[in-house]
Amino acid sequence: MAAPAMIFAVGMIGFPIGYAIWLSLSTVSPGADPVFSGLDNYGRLIHDPEFWNALKLTLALYAMSLSMQLVLGTWLGLLLGRSNAARGLVRTILVSPFMLPPVVVGMMAIVILDPSFGIANWLLAELGLPPGLWLSDPKTVLVTVAALDTWQWTPFVALIVMGSYLSLPSDVFEAVELDGATWWQRFRFVTLPMLAPTLVTAAVLRSVDILRFFDVIYLTTQGGPGNASTTLNILAYRRGFEFFDFGYASAIMVTLSTLVFGSVLVLAKLRRAVSW
Amino acid sequence: MRVYQLLGTIALSVISALPATAQEFNWRANDGQSINLMLNNHPWSQAMRDLVAEFTAKTGIKTQIEIFNEEQFRARLTTLMQGKSPDLDVYMSLTSREGAIFEKAGWYSDLAPMIADKKMTMPDFNYEDFGASIRNASTFGNRIVALPINQEGPLFYWRKDVFEKCKVAEPKAIEDLMPAAAALKACDSSMGAWAARGLRGAVPYALTAFINNLGGSYATPDGKPGLSQPNTLKGLTLYAGLLKDYGPPGALNHTFTQVIELLGQGKVAMVHESSNEFANIMRFPGRAQDLGVKVLPPGRETKISRPVAIGWTIAVSNFSQHKPAAWYFLQWATSSEIQAKLIKAGVAPPRASAFQGSDFNTWVSEIPTRRAWADALIEIGKTGTGVYQSPTDRIPEARDIIGTAVQEIVQGAAPADAARKADEALAKLQ
Repeated sequence: MAAPAMIFAVGMIGFPIGYAIWLSLSTVSPGADPVFSGLDNYGRLIHDPEFWNALKLTLALYAMSLSMQLVLGTWLGLLLGRSNAARGLVRTILVSPFMLPPVVVGMMAIVILDPSFGIANWLLAELGLPPGLWLSDPKTVLVTVAALDTWQWTPFVALIVMGSYLSLPSDVFEAVELDGATWWQRFRFVTLPMLAPTLVTAAVLRSVDILRFFDVIYLTTQGGPGNASTTLNILAYRRGFEFFDFGYASAIMVTLSTLVFGSVLVLAKLRRAVSW
Repeated sequence: MRVYQLLGTIALSVISALPATAQEFNWRANDGQSINLMLNNHPWSQAMRDLVAEFTAKTGIKTQIEIFNEEQFRARLTTLMQGKSPDLDVYMSLTSREGAIFEKAGWYSDLAPMIADKKMTMPDFNYEDFGASIRNASTFGNRIVALPINQEGPLFYWRKDVFEKCKVAEPKAIEDLMPAAAALKACDSSMGAWAARGLRGAVPYALTAFINNLGGSYATPDGKPGLSQPNTLKGLTLYAGLLKDYGPPGALNHTFTQVIELLGQGKVAMVHESSNEFANIMRFPGRAQDLGVKVLPPGRETKISRPVAIGWTIAVSNFSQHKPAAWYFLQWATSSEIQAKLIKAGVAPPRASAFQGSDFNTWVSEIPTRRAWADALIEIGKTGTGVYQSPTDRIPEARDIIGTAVQEIVQGAAPADAARKADEALAKLQ
């Protein structure tokens, strides 16, 4: 009975991963078949400053985006969970950012944040504030990209948190209120521990996405200015599809995939630890 | 005897007529076949989508067209070609960029034998009618790998009304650009003085004329990377300096879309941007009246004017199962007749004869700016170069390194340091 599922899993999941690993162990020139070259591509990674820069940026983006989305998503989720007013309408509005295709988000970002003709700097000027360079400054580009991802995906975390919060047993909250706990004590010692498994699940889902984050960055900056937003995904894309260095690009992607799997494993372990 | 002579004459006539009939070109020779085309999103592709029904009516060959934005186009094309897919018959290619890599990979069909075959090529095809620079970019040894579909290069666009208002003279030499930008900025600080490409991979296209006109070159006389040569450094410094001191904020992420938007919206007085964008610029109100267009001015002392002149091309996939039908499409799409129609979509024709055609002349005579644009195109067709990187087969990578050097200078690095670093990286690609 399990055979079809096994065949499907091997064919649809195992083969592409296996093939990517094979390519990462090969030298692949355009038009030529892969030639096995052992760990050469991984050796190149170790000595490539662009790779280390991309790894650093990927991890920085991951840390910024994930923490912002979990904090803001939890706050927004609890706010929604406690309020009955227009919950349906608010939910519909909340869903809209993450329903948008990445290409739309990217184009919106270009139009809004361009320092020369974007509306963001116009608004700042109206408020008497200095203009920002947003995606055009190496110092601010990564934070801006993290903010874009946070804008799009915080509502997703908020909806998960709200759903979980509404399903928590109300008698626990009534009991701590009777005991005279402050708002902070209720949140720190009751709500947060009870929401922890949900938050870890949200973190797993968002981790996979953030580490693979590509489209909006490529559309808005193509990894620039300089290499200031060249994450591992962007680096691999450029190496593979712009510079035709397929073996090396595969090595970068296998490394990134390992990072994704690693983060999921760590978070899965954490989920078991915080389950109640 | 007369009867035998007559019969002999008839027989000879029939025999001599037979090969002639067999060699006659016939547009319906591939009737009933279907070909798949993959195109980059470009004014030519959009116009082609409307025109292609004429090709089917003429030849009986059906077409399936896919158009993608450039990044997706390149990714999909590379994947299909690396997989030796027989599903693709015709594709667009920028041979001045990826030609050497694709040729080495064996992804192009050789068109030379088909051009030479009178049975397969229409009598008035005339390959030499295409501009020399773009013909050369698609020729590797004796192999012709693609046919040009347009001609383009960066041009100097300036707002005549703003120059007049600020009493700034039209730049006649490339050295005049910096003082003109300074004077314009001093005159009207609400308007940007200069805009050009800052996105690293896009920079060399616009940068090259700065280097060439000031007497520089991407290569040393012995073929090594030469950004550090004094005159080349002058070009790099001028291009980056204009962006740094007079360019719009955020210029390092700008490519043609942003530059054109700034010019079109009237937010900048001078740009150096593609001739290909002319039709888009003219859509903005007022620009047809107030804009000047010409080739980037030459160096004052060098007298050199050597801009980039390239053209997108269409090629037949080497893995196509329908090469004759695909070749028929190439001929039709690049014929003088179709080019005359494409002009109205703003596609500059790569055929010299199209510039002399009555359709073209009628069209350019309608607006003086069009005439200036056409004159500039004719000039870059004669003087332009398709080479805008140091010698290597790894062209996209090389252009990326050159663009990075410009970005570093704009961000404050010393030009000599950025050039030296780039030369070291470029040397590794040789």
